[in-house]
Amino acid sequence: MQPPGKPTGANDLMSDLAIGGAGFGALFILIAFRVPIGVAMLSVGLAGYITIAGPIAMMSFLKTEMYWRFSAPHLAVIPLFLLMGHFAARAGITASLFRAAAAWIGHHRGGLAMASVGGCAAFATISGSSLATAAMMGQVALPELRRYKYSGAFATGALAAGGTLGILIPPSIVLIIYAVMVEASIVSLFQAGFLPGILAAAGYIVVIAIVVRIDPSAGPAAPRTAWPERWRALRDIWTVLLIFLVVMGGIYLGVFSPTEGAGVGALATFLVAVTYGGMRWAGFVDALRETASTSAMIFLILLGAGVFNAFLGFSELPLATADFFSKSGLSPYVVLFGMIVLYLVLGCIMDSLAMILITIPIFWPVILALDFGLQPDDLKLWFGIITLMVVEIGLITPPVGLNVFVINSLAKDVPMLDTFRGVVPFLLSDAVRVALVVLLPPLSLFLPHLLAN
Amino acid sequence: MPQASNGDARPADRVGRALYRVSDILAVIGGLLCCVMATLVTVSVTGRYLFASPVPGDYDLLGILGGCAIFAFLPYCQIKRGNIVVDFFTTGVSPRGRSMLDGIGSALYLFIAVLFTWRLYFGAIELYETSEVLAVINFYRWWTLPFSLFCMVVLIAVIAYSFFRDIGDVRNADAAAGKTNRGE
Repeated sequence: MQPPGKPTGANDLMSDLAIGGAGFGALFILIAFRVPIGVAMLSVGLAGYITIAGPIAMMSFLKTEMYWRFSAPHLAVIPLFLLMGHFAARAGITASLFRAAAAWIGHHRGGLAMASVGGCAAFATISGSSLATAAMMGQVALPELRRYKYSGAFATGALAAGGTLGILIPPSIVLIIYAVMVEASIVSLFQAGFLPGILAAAGYIVVIAIVVRIDPSAGPAAPRTAWPERWRALRDIWTVLLIFLVVMGGIYLGVFSPTEGAGVGALATFLVAVTYGGMRWAGFVDALRETASTSAMIFLILLGAGVFNAFLGFSELPLATADFFSKSGLSPYVVLFGMIVLYLVLGCIMDSLAMILITIPIFWPVILALDFGLQPDDLKLWFGIITLMVVEIGLITPPVGLNVFVINSLAKDVPMLDTFRGVVPFLLSDAVRVALVVLLPPLSLFLPHLLAN
Repeated sequence: MPQASNGDARPADRVGRALYRVSDILAVIGGLLCCVMATLVTVSVTGRYLFASPVPGDYDLLGILGGCAIFAFLPYCQIKRGNIVVDFFTTGVSPRGRSMLDGIGSALYLFIAVLFTWRLYFGAIELYETSEVLAVINFYRWWTLPFSLFCMVVLIAVIAYSFFRDIGDVRNADAAAGKTNRGE
């Protein structure tokens, strides 16, 4: 039964599979009891590793694991994209984006809400974080929306939903992590995520149009902006356009790698933050601190996921699960639907990054073993985009929709329940989009195929 | 996120202040290393396209610098309590119970950090003895490990501090409950 090359276990009482299953149970118990997710994964991973592979193997594994995990050149892209995002947040970019969009469409009913979503989408093309997008755009747009008597629920709901574009539209930290886990190309994933991301923004704008048609008082029109002023507002967004074209354009077209793009982008956003955003030493150091905090959090979970997955690999639980589902005779789409439901449930309690790191080691082999009529490389991209969209829904659903909290904290007079109510129409659009991406693989695969040539 | 800290105030006692200061300096050093990385790749990309001469060994150097930065970031994240926890299931638990659970989490993290540091020490010696260099340039891999080990020692101190803080919170809650008795 023992495949060659697998370390022999010290424990014969339990099958390795059962240990793997117990590991998952223990992981969820620790997480439920407030143990930091990375620490929980490390604890269970180490305990499982030592049980299956023995202490000597583990001790030698640990000698280098941390060093190589942290020093992996392909992971350097993460702190660089974070740094870029934190500089971008200080570059005054969101303000000029919102002003430009508002100048052009603000005089329509619901136009300012649409402008917020459009601004979020534009900011998302250079930022990989949903929370930053929601917070930055919220600070700029919310006072304006309220000034023109938008309803609290509608205004905060639109901004919370718009914020998710930060991660849906590449660059996206979650996609990078997914790429690392399934060994996919980050570039292809970014390309794959682009059209669905734009579709998301379009969907939100349609939702706004429908909501103000049903309830015109939710989003009254703002006064019309004169033409010269519109052009002037448009001129102010050249910095974003330039950064997007250079950084993401360069990555999409293969001029440089995502890591290089992130480095160039960090430098570019730094320059814009200093010249236009008025960033000085204190702001600069704060951007470094925020990068420190987020990077450390992500890498601790990555380290934990590495150890936990090494243990899962020994237990052969992923293979056995994949085997079970491929022989079960269930339709692949039923299995996929089950995963989506599970993600929605997990999204209620867990952060998207942690969710992906915990589930993908089991889910990906299962998806790979099922027949969706796609090549493995395409399957990676398609499933990655579906996963990304589904886990992001957790950001705007109760009880821990982080985007909702961020936006709601900016609008003191709007009750939390109202914001969650305001998000509901946008959730419908999310559901439609997930269905579209599942049923129409070309939505995610068209661009990577086009640009691969 | 625009405003950095979320209410988790800086430690007020002497040990905490000192640890905060060291962690903060390390975080900024790590951040500056990231800026160096950004500059390095920009120079390398420009060099590659304009003068057909990228910085030699840039890819590996990026990994090395990034690794140092991450090690330097760990203590700061811990002292800010920035590691994500799920508090969905424990919202109904009393502050005392929550501090107790946090103490368990800190104890686990402490154990793991000590284990990793101990093993990393031997890993460093191994890299020193094998004198492994980067593929393209003459950069010994062990050169950065003393710094990494230093960061780990600071991390251990910070986690130990968090652990004692958690225990202290449990004791304070006990003392408060003894006087006023308004537990939940």
